[in-house]
Amino acid sequence: MTTITRPEGDAQPPATSVKALDRQMERSVIGESNLKRSLRRLRKHRMAVVGAVILVLIILYVLIGSLIFPESSSNFLDTSKRLMAPDAAHPFGTDQVGRDIFIRTIYGGQISLFIAVTAVAVQLAIGVTAGLLAGYFGGLVDTIIMRFAEAMLSIPQIFLALIAVRIFANAIPDFKIGGREFSNTLVVMIIVLGATSWMRLSRIVRSVVLSVKEQEYITAARSLGLPPRRILLRHVLPNCVAPIIVSATLGVASAILLEAYLSFLGLGVRPPTATWGSIISEAKEFLAQGNWWYWFFPAVFIVLTVLGINFLGDGLRDAFDPKSLK
Amino acid sequence: MIKYITRRILQSIPLLFLITFVLFALMNGIGDPLAVYGEARNKPNPQQRMEIMRRLGLDQPIYVQYVYWLIGNDWAQVDVRGDGTLMELGRRKGVLRGDFGMSFRTRQPATQRISERLPNTLILMIPSYVLTVLLALAIGVYSAVRQYSFFDNLVSGMSFFFYSMPIFFIALMCIYIFGVQFQRWGLQPLPIGGMYDPGKTRNFANLLPHLVMPVFCLVAIQLAGYVRFIRSSMLEVLGQDYIRTARSKGMREQRVVRRHALKNAALPLITLIGLDIPFLLAGAVVTEQIFSWPGMGALFIESLTYSDFPVLMVILLLLSIAVVFFQLLTDIVYTWFDPRIRFN
Repeated sequence: MTTITRPEGDAQPPATSVKALDRQMERSVIGESNLKRSLRRLRKHRMAVVGAVILVLIILYVLIGSLIFPESSSNFLDTSKRLMAPDAAHPFGTDQVGRDIFIRTIYGGQISLFIAVTAVAVQLAIGVTAGLLAGYFGGLVDTIIMRFAEAMLSIPQIFLALIAVRIFANAIPDFKIGGREFSNTLVVMIIVLGATSWMRLSRIVRSVVLSVKEQEYITAARSLGLPPRRILLRHVLPNCVAPIIVSATLGVASAILLEAYLSFLGLGVRPPTATWGSIISEAKEFLAQGNWWYWFFPAVFIVLTVLGINFLGDGLRDAFDPKSLK
Repeated sequence: MIKYITRRILQSIPLLFLITFVLFALMNGIGDPLAVYGEARNKPNPQQRMEIMRRLGLDQPIYVQYVYWLIGNDWAQVDVRGDGTLMELGRRKGVLRGDFGMSFRTRQPATQRISERLPNTLILMIPSYVLTVLLALAIGVYSAVRQYSFFDNLVSGMSFFFYSMPIFFIALMCIYIFGVQFQRWGLQPLPIGGMYDPGKTRNFANLLPHLVMPVFCLVAIQLAGYVRFIRSSMLEVLGQDYIRTARSKGMREQRVVRRHALKNAALPLITLIGLDIPFLLAGAVVTEQIFSWPGMGALFIESLTYSDFPVLMVILLLLSIAVVFFQLLTDIVYTWFDPRIRFN
């Protein structure tokens, strides 16, 4: 209920010329697939395109950056250059032990984005499964799952996440991948963010399932004796794709924010792994000394990423929403 | 009406039990509650440690602990030594009889810890929430009435921007400009932390400058979502037929907006407010942390660090009761505003 919807028709200017109208008619007559039609609408959504461009640029930044500067340079410390203001050698300045913040935002960004995307995958796995089961089977299954979701929704997500961090923190060891050392808190973060954010998605999926499950083709599938798993995955799930895509996109934005908040509180990913949030968390100790570059640049990356995702998510919602078809 | 309210209250009771049980089970996994003794001068030896665990009921299976937490253990014999001889009666009365337990950390009643912090949080959250809603109404309605004007586009852009902003970014910028740089420029800086200046009397004049920055940050962040919400629900109402009818019978625009549109656009807002108000009690974890505000969010983090279950449980219980209560209240207020809905 708290989702903030944009008014319909905000996205697309109405077809002005007869020709344009004709083209639109023709398309709908030919029977363009839903997905294609939505993508076409998305391309015309100016904000969505801007959002997508911002995101592509940020992804390029963290990927190409790591090809140019090796990982060791993000942890290279030179204590003679502590807390230096931005200059030609260090465009974003240096941190408390003389590490280059420009390179740290590249590697920190990789981790921030990776955590957010995988956390959303966890969220999707839990939320979609819970929603499908609750909606399709109804009865006791529905009551248990939905009451549980309601119980979790009545606690602020940051509280849940803080508790979950404590629970999982000691369960997983540190690990190494490709010569880079990662803190166990990386995996903890992914699980925590995913496990505390699936409730709204499961409600959406459930409501879609409830609305399609009485339709004839589901009855037909059932009367053919198909197992529930196949009915759910092949016939019910495709109906939920649009809301799932929209909520997954926006979910990445809130995962990035929540990860940044937890890291900022010092309960997120621990060193040696840096994220945008954890760089800012280090910086807050030196706030009174006035070295703004320490927290400013990572924060700008967070804002740009979240802004880009929100633009794109908003565009996706408009593009998929059948109400904005007119 | 009374029937409806009674039914709703009865329905919410099992939910509250479920919430508290889930939380209780989660709490059990967060860490060693006796870690606090690690700092004590006389560290308990393993045997003493077990005795403390048994006395606190922490050796019992989770459902037994939950029952003790609910209705107390003064009727159950506690086997303190663990040798099969029942030594003494439990001392707890349980939440249902008004005993919320003692803080493991400070040995004060958990409720006392909460009542010290709750007013601080409300001092911060209520003004910022009231400001947010009032400003959002003004901006959202004005912006919807002038859809696609320069002002509207500016508002839409700004609200998107602030909506995407983590609160610590704006807070750090405020501290940097008004706290740090103001001092360098020789201006009177705003205090960057705490509720009162140390050593001065705790009065309103002392509190006010400390409130400015946190309230500003909270309003700036919350405002964006509310403005977008109000603008879109206002636009939806303004497109309805009865608005056209009201205009066509020559009603003044101002009256159309206030009387006909706003009243209907306010309905979804009531739901939103009802859902958000209980979370004001939780305080703002990150904001309180940045501005060293001694509120509920800070208490939560502190209690979590020390695995102080009783305090954590009271905070979470308070929140869940508030959520259930405000949901009910929202439904009642809703019918009062919208005569189309009846309790049936």
